[in-house]
Amino acid sequence: MKLGYTIIYVADVPKTVAFYEAAFGLKQRFIHESNLYGEMETGETILAFAGTEAAEMNGLAILPNSPDGPAAAWEICFVTDDVAAAYERALSEGCQPVGAPSEKPWGQIVSYVRDLDGCIVEIASPIQGSA
Amino acid sequence: MWSFCASTSGSAVVLPDGRCDIIVRNHASTPHEIKPVITGPATRPYHVDFDAGDQWFGIRLRPEHGAALWQGDLGNAPDSVLRGPEALDRLPSLSALHGVPLTRDALAQIIPSLTWPRVDPRLTRAIDILHASGGRLRIDALAECVGCTSRHLNRVFRRNVGLSAKTYAQLIQFHRTLKLITSGNVPIIAAAFEGGYSDHAHMTRTFRRFGGFTPSGIPTDLSLPGIPFK
Repeated sequence: MKLGYTIIYVADVPKTVAFYEAAFGLKQRFIHESNLYGEMETGETILAFAGTEAAEMNGLAILPNSPDGPAAAWEICFVTDDVAAAYERALSEGCQPVGAPSEKPWGQIVSYVRDLDGCIVEIASPIQGSA
Repeated sequence: MWSFCASTSGSAVVLPDGRCDIIVRNHASTPHEIKPVITGPATRPYHVDFDAGDQWFGIRLRPEHGAALWQGDLGNAPDSVLRGPEALDRLPSLSALHGVPLTRDALAQIIPSLTWPRVDPRLTRAIDILHASGGRLRIDALAECVGCTSRHLNRVFRRNVGLSAKTYAQLIQFHRTLKLITSGNVPIIAAAFEGGYSDHAHMTRTFRRFGGFTPSGIPTDLSLPGIPFK
């Protein structure tokens, strides 16, 4: 078994796909004609978005993400060599700041924002010694 | 446990975090003369003046263990400070520290002398959830999370922490928002939003109440003795 998808349930799939293109520089792979499912070009492990209605159709009970309350207990993390630029770009495209880039004791640069739905997105440099 | 040694004289603002401390203070040149201090759960900032060479050793109790220190007096403990003989009356085992070199280990010896009342595990869980959520949960939602009524949750907060659940949540929210501004470099308006304040005025009122300063006038000497966020 391998990790194939990370799927985030969101209020508006096309809007979220466009937001991730603008804020994090990802490209869309496709959006289903129902507008209830979309995938980003993220390599072998796919970041996808599904409409909150899709959760109900699949028999799932979820607590929708919201920028107005505390975030859900998970995050996604983008890795880049230029954290400062990526952080500024995310903010200029409408992300909410949570932690500006700072260096961890192990040498990694780490920052945090929340996306349009209030999900936590970490933007960090690669850990030295790893790919 | 924490300790602090002042390298210069000065003063510092200690921010309230709703927890009780057992502190012994002395001076590096006269290590055997100790001044014991016991604090109740704090909701107001206080100033500490110190000289170079002053040192402190402290035990900060988990919030739900306030009752272990104050027993039946916890209701009167918020924002009170016992010094010297009063502190010894509260915790007679502190007298064992007279005349011995003050170390963390020596201080740790007095902990077993506390009588630990039983703590409802739902209270411990509620406190952990409040910390994780930055104090942004409503108390009724928090009670639901841990499987009790908000009335019961408030009762165990007052009985064990010495503060209402709401006040404790507000303290956590204040500390997290302060950290967003100071460590996270988050602009004040954005920090108010991420911190969960309904508006800027609400955040400013809370900062004045718990810190004695406004979000745009955060003093730079807040670090004594290191206030952990958890």
